[in-house]
Amino acid sequence: MALDYRKCAQEIVDHIGGRENVAQAAHCATRLRLVIKDNSKVDKDYLDNIDGVKGMFESNGQLQLIIGTGTVNKVYDEFLDITGMTAATKDDVKAAAAAKQPLWKRLLKPIGDVFVPILPAIVASGLMMGLVEALGKAIPTFASTDWYAFMDMVANTAFAYLPVIVAISAARVFGGNIFLGAVIGLLMIHSALTNGWSAADGYNVWYLFGHLKITDNYTLLQINQLGYQGHVIPVMLAVLFMSKLEGWLHKHVPEMIDLFVTPLTTVFVTAIVTFTIIGPIFSSLETMVLAGAQVLVTNPIGSCIMGAIYPVTVVMGLHHMYNVIEAGMLAAGGLNTWMPIASAANFAQFGACLAVALKARNQKTKAVALPSSLSAALGITEPAIFGVNLRFYKPFVAGMIGGAVGALVAAFLGIGASAYGVTGIPGYLTIEQPVQYTIVLAISAGIAFIVTNAIWKEEEKAAKKAAAPDVEKAPENTVFSAAGVEVKAPVAGTVVGRDQIPDDTFASGVLGDGVGINPTAETVFAPFDGTISTVAESKHAVGITGPADMELLIHVGVDTVAMNGEGFEVFVAEGDSVKAGQPLLHFSKAAIAKANHPDIVVTLLTNAEDFDDFAIK
Amino acid sequence: MKKVDYKVTDPKGMHARPAGIISSTAKQFASVIRVACGSEEADMKKLLPLMGLTVRQNDVLHITIEGADEAEAAAAVEASLKECF
Repeated sequence: MALDYRKCAQEIVDHIGGRENVAQAAHCATRLRLVIKDNSKVDKDYLDNIDGVKGMFESNGQLQLIIGTGTVNKVYDEFLDITGMTAATKDDVKAAAAAKQPLWKRLLKPIGDVFVPILPAIVASGLMMGLVEALGKAIPTFASTDWYAFMDMVANTAFAYLPVIVAISAARVFGGNIFLGAVIGLLMIHSALTNGWSAADGYNVWYLFGHLKITDNYTLLQINQLGYQGHVIPVMLAVLFMSKLEGWLHKHVPEMIDLFVTPLTTVFVTAIVTFTIIGPIFSSLETMVLAGAQVLVTNPIGSCIMGAIYPVTVVMGLHHMYNVIEAGMLAAGGLNTWMPIASAANFAQFGACLAVALKARNQKTKAVALPSSLSAALGITEPAIFGVNLRFYKPFVAGMIGGAVGALVAAFLGIGASAYGVTGIPGYLTIEQPVQYTIVLAISAGIAFIVTNAIWKEEEKAAKKAAAPDVEKAPENTVFSAAGVEVKAPVAGTVVGRDQIPDDTFASGVLGDGVGINPTAETVFAPFDGTISTVAESKHAVGITGPADMELLIHVGVDTVAMNGEGFEVFVAEGDSVKAGQPLLHFSKAAIAKANHPDIVVTLLTNAEDFDDFAIK
Repeated sequence: MKKVDYKVTDPKGMHARPAGIISSTAKQFASVIRVACGSEEADMKKLLPLMGLTVRQNDVLHITIEGADEAEAAAAVEASLKECF
């Protein structure tokens, strides 16, 4: 019995006062939601009887027509077509804008999303590299054994081929094909290119687009035969470009030839763009940083500045050229006074990361931060920077401060190393003045640690207030039982059946079985001992896992997600253990009423089907 | 194994209603269905963990479906997502 969607939509338009009377049109899974300007023009009786309209009700300014899952969207499309309205409304756009975070925070998010999953590989590699190098320098004979050679290879694999790992992770995050992402990553460190770590030794150039010289060092669109070993940002940018291009091609290329055209074009175009544009941008940046660094290091203030921006150059992958400075210093017969600056900066990142590891309450954060901080102490800072400090940004800044001060002290103490290649703890093997070195490390890490502790708080998911209103007490009445456990009402009020909840989705049982409570109070209490599994970002709903693995959803109000947290306070966070009777959430009945939503507290056992003895009281 | 990638268009992101609907769609199938968003992951058949994912408008959901009925499950899940989200 197929519904004539067009006819249905037309009849609706005709009997709501026409296009001019509709301010806004939207739909959800089951209902058409119309904001009507003049309600007197709506022919309610007729609407109720239209073929396809199963029911109709108004809730202050919004006319809701229940049409049903699977059909409402088709009727909506016809509705839009007939009225000529566009789907996006001004309010939706405004709401979306309000939900946006500051631009720079949104730029940092993908970096974290790409790096966190690959941390196990990088931390393993980082720790092992640090240990192997330290052993090699501490026991000179060890360095020439087969064990050393083997372990060295195993240890530096993840770093030697980091671009590939990053490319695959980035492809997953940006929605590109992960194997094409792998190809891009492999391409950027292809063995036909000079290894990126040896950039200082020189490399050849390809001229694909002629020889138009722009500057002394740069011909238009030249391609340096230089690999991107150790680089992160250019790889992510390349894969981001690749993913967008791939998506665009998928949409515009006819399906028949998609498999032939899309992957080939994607890879080739991305390769050209990466090597002609992204590449030169980063090589130029590297050369600039190198020149700048050489100038700066000659005096204490310069060292201080360098200590501060060192981790930024690591983030951008511009730190490869520093061995040129170090080698130059040693060749000139002096000490390597660059190493203490790098050590101060790296050890400061260790201090900041350690502070996060100790201060965080979230177990996952601690489990990542602790090994990452250790790796940083051994001189491998990528896990700490990308996996922790940069993600939370304040620890990163604390690290910059610690590094700056440490570098300043190092410059004043005039310490230096007799070789290059290690920083942090392994640096003890090459530093000439161990006592002063200790002071520098302690200051760098100490300041970073203290500053991080002072200015960084676990944000977003942390509880905002511990205040529990003692005027209200947890209700004693049971609403339903399962697995022999009596589940009490989470809020005081009158209990109504699930089918009486003024919302199709809740009433239908799709989210679980349970009840609704018309609240007479404004505090939601935990109905049993359990763990908080979810807290809605808009603070209007909480999920708790209780005895016998029952998963309870407490959802305050209908559509209250649209209030974006206004009028709601939540006292718990995901992962928290709670006791029966503990206050979880406070809501303002007045605020909900003002926003024109029902304030019924929906209490549903989402996995009710798992319990044979589930019974509503 | 089937994969479905979906970009969320709903300004409210993941909330109870779409979560409930896509979860109950997922429950109809025997296949194992997992959803990943950013660095978080959840079993699509479990409502509470699903709601626990931080999903906002314009985030991309990466869904993997593995099992005997993965083809139908993939089609149903994709249809369900397009409707609610």
